[in-house]
Amino acid sequence: VSVIFGKWMNTLPTLAAAGALGGFISVVGGFWYWATPKFWEVGYMPTQPGGGFNHQLHAGQLGMDCRYCHTNVERAAEANIPPVSVCYGCHAENHVAHTAAQTEKTEFIRAAYTADESIPWRRVHKLPDYVRNFPHDVHVNAGVSCFSCHGQMDALPVVSQRESLSMGWCLDCHRATANRPEAVLVPRERVTDLVWVAEHMQNVQRGGDASVPGFSARAVFDQLRMTPPENCGACHY
Amino acid sequence: MSAHEHCPTKKEHHAEARASKAAAMAASAGEPSRPWRSLDEVADTPEFRDFLEREFPAGASELREETTRRDFLKIMGASVALAGAATIPGCRRPDHKIMPFSAVVPEEVIPGKALYYATSMPLPGGGAEGLLAETHDGRPTKLEGNPFHPINRGKSSVWSQASVLGLYDPDRLMFPIYRGAGENRVAAWDDFKKWAKDHFSKFDESRGRGLALIIDKRSSHTREAVRQRFMQRFPEAVWVSYDATEAMSHVEGSRMALGAPGREVLTFTDNGRVAAKVIVSLDRDFLDHADPAHLPNSLGFASARRPLTTDDEMARLYMVEPGYSITGACADHRYRVAPSRIAGFAVLLARAVLRRIGEQNAGPLAQALSGIEVPAGEDLPPADIEKIADDLIAEEQDGARRTRVGETLILAGPTQPPAVHALALALNQALGNIGRTIGFMPVNEQEAEASLPRLAELARAMGAGQIDTLVCVEANPLYNAPPELNFAEAFKRVRHTITLGCGASETAAASEWSLNGTHFLESWGDTIAADGTVAPIQPMIAPLYGPAFSDIEFVAMLADPNAGIPHGDLPRVDDGHRILRETWSRLLGQNVSGPEFDRSFRRALHDGVLQLGAAAPRPGAPAVNFGGVAQAVAQLRVPAAPTETSLDVFFFPGMLGDGRFANNGWLMELPQPATRVVWDNPALVSPATAARLGLLPDGVKADLSNTYTQRKYPSGRLATITVDGRRLEIAVWVMPGMADNTIALQYGWGRKAAGRVGDGVGFNTFALAPASGSRVVRGAQAAAAGGFYPISSTQQHWTMESRDSIVRQVDLAAWVKHGDAPPDVHRDYIYNTKQELKFGERVGHSELSHSPPITNIYPHPYMADRLDKPGTLQGRTDTPEPGALFARGNQWGMSIDLSTCTGCGACTIACQAENNIPIVGKKEVQKGREMHWIRVDRYFTGSVLDPGEMLHQPVPCMHCDNAPCETVCPVNATVQGPEGNNYQVYNRCIGTRYCENNCPYKVRRFNFFDYGVTKFNGDYIGKETIEAVAPNRGGITGSGAHNKVNPNLIPPRLREKLDQIERMQKNPDVTVRSRGVMEKCTYCIQRINEARIEMKVRGIFDAPDGFVQSACQQACPSNAIVFGDLLDVGQGEHPGSLVRRLHDHARSYMLLGYLNTRPRTTYMVRVANPNRGLVEQQYKAADAAGDKALAKRLKYRLQNMENPFGHGAHGDGGRGDHGQGGNGHSSAGDGQMSRSAFLRDSAKTLADQGYALSLRVLGSVM
Repeated sequence: VSVIFGKWMNTLPTLAAAGALGGFISVVGGFWYWATPKFWEVGYMPTQPGGGFNHQLHAGQLGMDCRYCHTNVERAAEANIPPVSVCYGCHAENHVAHTAAQTEKTEFIRAAYTADESIPWRRVHKLPDYVRNFPHDVHVNAGVSCFSCHGQMDALPVVSQRESLSMGWCLDCHRATANRPEAVLVPRERVTDLVWVAEHMQNVQRGGDASVPGFSARAVFDQLRMTPPENCGACHY
Repeated sequence: MSAHEHCPTKKEHHAEARASKAAAMAASAGEPSRPWRSLDEVADTPEFRDFLEREFPAGASELREETTRRDFLKIMGASVALAGAATIPGCRRPDHKIMPFSAVVPEEVIPGKALYYATSMPLPGGGAEGLLAETHDGRPTKLEGNPFHPINRGKSSVWSQASVLGLYDPDRLMFPIYRGAGENRVAAWDDFKKWAKDHFSKFDESRGRGLALIIDKRSSHTREAVRQRFMQRFPEAVWVSYDATEAMSHVEGSRMALGAPGREVLTFTDNGRVAAKVIVSLDRDFLDHADPAHLPNSLGFASARRPLTTDDEMARLYMVEPGYSITGACADHRYRVAPSRIAGFAVLLARAVLRRIGEQNAGPLAQALSGIEVPAGEDLPPADIEKIADDLIAEEQDGARRTRVGETLILAGPTQPPAVHALALALNQALGNIGRTIGFMPVNEQEAEASLPRLAELARAMGAGQIDTLVCVEANPLYNAPPELNFAEAFKRVRHTITLGCGASETAAASEWSLNGTHFLESWGDTIAADGTVAPIQPMIAPLYGPAFSDIEFVAMLADPNAGIPHGDLPRVDDGHRILRETWSRLLGQNVSGPEFDRSFRRALHDGVLQLGAAAPRPGAPAVNFGGVAQAVAQLRVPAAPTETSLDVFFFPGMLGDGRFANNGWLMELPQPATRVVWDNPALVSPATAARLGLLPDGVKADLSNTYTQRKYPSGRLATITVDGRRLEIAVWVMPGMADNTIALQYGWGRKAAGRVGDGVGFNTFALAPASGSRVVRGAQAAAAGGFYPISSTQQHWTMESRDSIVRQVDLAAWVKHGDAPPDVHRDYIYNTKQELKFGERVGHSELSHSPPITNIYPHPYMADRLDKPGTLQGRTDTPEPGALFARGNQWGMSIDLSTCTGCGACTIACQAENNIPIVGKKEVQKGREMHWIRVDRYFTGSVLDPGEMLHQPVPCMHCDNAPCETVCPVNATVQGPEGNNYQVYNRCIGTRYCENNCPYKVRRFNFFDYGVTKFNGDYIGKETIEAVAPNRGGITGSGAHNKVNPNLIPPRLREKLDQIERMQKNPDVTVRSRGVMEKCTYCIQRINEARIEMKVRGIFDAPDGFVQSACQQACPSNAIVFGDLLDVGQGEHPGSLVRRLHDHARSYMLLGYLNTRPRTTYMVRVANPNRGLVEQQYKAADAAGDKALAKRLKYRLQNMENPFGHGAHGDGGRGDHGQGGNGHSSAGDGQMSRSAFLRDSAKTLADQGYALSLRVLGSVM
């Protein structure tokens, strides 16, 4: 009698179960890794007009403060992209450019200024439309550095997204602030000092001494009566 | 949804209801015991029960009935195909651009922050509102009342709130159109200017003969200045300031009585004391938005009607009116009198008053009055009038008589002839009121002139071919001129017609030149308000469809012989800014280029009010000339009461004014205060009259024993109304509380060329308007025309089923007697506890009148470990310990005073503008899909044939601390926030609608289709597909002018998306919700968050009261809505927030509090101030006349006038005939008789008690 179902087939259910399990794990795991904002969003770097604003050059080498251009970051929800007139302030004809290449590279600024037209910068950091409330001013005034969300922008020749900007990421930071403010908050006057903040944060993350002379994050946290919200209505309405 | 089909007990209940109904009706003549909303509820048919018990009205979740399944699949297939195509690029992150400013950067603009500018809105026919416009990135999105403007004082009306939508009206005139010489083409303004320069210079020789200009009536200095310029160039031209809905009788009356035309300025309170203690209104609807002074009137009247302590005085209002106005709804005693008979009421009242104060004081008036024959009738009860006269003369106080000299007010309304107005003024003089409760602002002759006779004269000249050129500016006589003028015929005989307007109009569509004008938010100008305040109109945005010219710019252009010639460097004379500056510098007597004027001008632009200093007009107190009044009164004829064959018809402006707001969807969909009808203006008749004339809806029996329409959706019978040979076919809506044999017609509907919203909606009642401009016509006939007409009304939507103690009302005597009494210790039978109950909680049905006691408080899940003190839970208690003030954040709450709410609807529109709430259309409203976040419920008390009172109750989301919606949401899309807000998280919501089902208040709204992002009505994608689904059936709105297909049959999701222009109105701080998502009131969380950010950035920790205002509160003209922080308790000199004090107030109660929902929004018991002597007398009269139902009602009212609590705490369903609970005439209902849908359903009560218990159990274990 020929054996239709060989003995080896007894292992089939086990194999199938193992396969299903493996398949399940890889699907979930794959989704977990590839289908998250962390994978999709971080590193987003669209092509910008004129090759993009070189933060490394302006903010890093030249040492310009973030607020030279993003003027409203301390008083409005939006950290505004500067009007062309701000660019033109330095990049007017024969103003700061030294080489012909530099002059040519910034020509689009003068063209836009002369025509009174916007430069269509591509948006890099974008929260979904159902986030109605993300105020830059509150964060900056509380002592949350630009670094916390945008990374060390003064080291980037072309802007790209450094953090996932997902809701879980927001909440992680809000919880961390409530539990351990010194891990998040920096002195108010150091908020835009990205070199210092980057070093400080690395230190904090490595578990080093988080204290800053003359500054107590906990005291600021209590004094400003901070309540980093974790409720839906803080952002979604 | 229709659970009752499976529920035998309910079936039995229906059978029982049916069986007992006939007997009950016979016994009580249909008098229900509790406040009721509609005739159907009184009839209480099983169908109606079914309707009530549905979560949404029948069919709410079906597609359109004309769409078959196959068609649906076809459309779906197309959508899926489209969606597939659309998702391919969706794999990549879309390229978002940021477009910053370039070379020119407005200094004051901070991206993302709103800017506020002062401006003002001219009201139709004169008067104005001072407004603040909220602009986001240069586009106005919301209008608020200007706190500096004495008319508004921060408040605003339905019209001003809705006017911002008119700016973004997609059907506005966008460019000049030339029709003439066989041409019909889009033209340019330069074409017109070139043509006009030649054309108008022809009139220079004839000094303007043959030239006529019709312009909408406004009160404005710049308007007058350009008029003078125009008349200077063309002295013989005809200038008509036209207002189709004007009622000049008050001006004529004041001319007769005072010798000069004047506008009344009313004083209701003076220094916090009630100045007008007794008000008799002869059909004067002084709270309605059509009254240019209704905002100060509402504010004043509300403060005279808001008893906060038991010593507070309260004004008493007697209303004599034919229709049901919002002022009538506030009245303590209301008389239903046909408009032609109100003069009789006035005469009888005047006789009675003069008899009491000595007739010799009134000179010849008494004699003239005695000569007038007033045919007796039931509508004019002489005994009642004597009592009112008594009340006007003196009051009995602690046994002593206290005279009321100068503390009363007699008002006459626009339906009344000038003689009645003169008589009212004479009575005010005789009672010493002039200069105390009533003053007069001078009215200039331009404004005082009646425009309809002038228009009639012009129409005659036009008909005779004497007019060569007719210019219409913001006027639409082809639509709203009275038919007797034959204006349309005469219009054709005019050679050249030019029309300038902002919105599309019939006149523009027929003119040779149709020119695009500006909205008031796009133009310069000024306004004069009802109290004489001068305010600027300043542009918020450049004309959306530019170039465009405002009314003053256009007239100045016509008046300028050099118009059209390039001015080079010279400033244009037709520049609105320049006209305004020149006019104002003359007004102030300052040099237009001097620094002094510059300062005044900039100040005025900032404040929104021009400081006139000593030149400011002030109300005067001229003496009444009794001789003049006597002369006028002697001419007065009081007819006998109207009969079925000779009806009275009267007109009122309603929502759309003279038709100018017809393309405004917000106003179309705002339930009209008395009828709750939307998208229509049916003729209103009383139930008795409708029964006699055979105009009752389908299936309703003539004896009104069955008033359910038997149709799926409410519909009215079509009727033909004939007046003096003019006929109109119009639907009929049966309106309880109307005077019998009287028809009320609303102006402004039935437009033919208003745009896609307003076209063909409703009926053009101007077809019946008389040429005299009178608001009343006598001798009308009405007969059924055959056929029915669907009417959408929200009166039965969102009912709180058969629950108890919803609207609570007491009489002032009860409040005075019990308001200060210590809280009642109440033994709770459900929880076996003792509890202290406040006044407001005792008014109602014992167990079901208040929230169950708190026995333990469970900690809030958020940050429970970080609370400073016990008892200051984040959001779970409203009784913080003193000292815990602002410990952590705020706890928001709201209080709504039913005593001062007039039901005007300003809150609904303000909410709509603030929160991007879409309109849904007539058919959708029929299905109960209206999206308003705050609705105003309207209740009647008493019988169908003679209702006692109308009660209004605004109902937003209650933000329950123990919210039933939260427990049933499977995805946590609705949750409690730490500040007490009940959040609705749109991006989480999957649209199960369980929350709406479980909400006892029915305040949640489901977005069935993409209402928010699609055009209301217009072109559709895939026309061919849709044509097959929904062929053109003509349709009730007949929008064939714009659409081949009936727009009502097209699912909104297949409609075109909103234009860029229309989207500009949306508030960027609030999500525009998509379909499939629940939404509801958020307590204006965007404003809360904005304020919190402001506070955080500026280091403010204690928000002052009023720092955050909800949109409804900000608009509410009577301050009935108060919003604020409940944790702001009084301490030392700090009084605490108003809302905290009102929550603690004895009058406050929680709506359906017995469900243990712990709502954050509480209500204040309505207090009425009836005249006890009058009620006693009415009771005796009713008793003698054998009117058992009325006698019973009045008897209970008398018995309960000082005892609002009934006979102790029964708390069960068996109240029988004891009239316990409530105060006998309204409020909680006394269970005295008959069945109605609102009669307490004992099964429902038990279920509610069980429900409350279950919440309680859950609460204690959590």
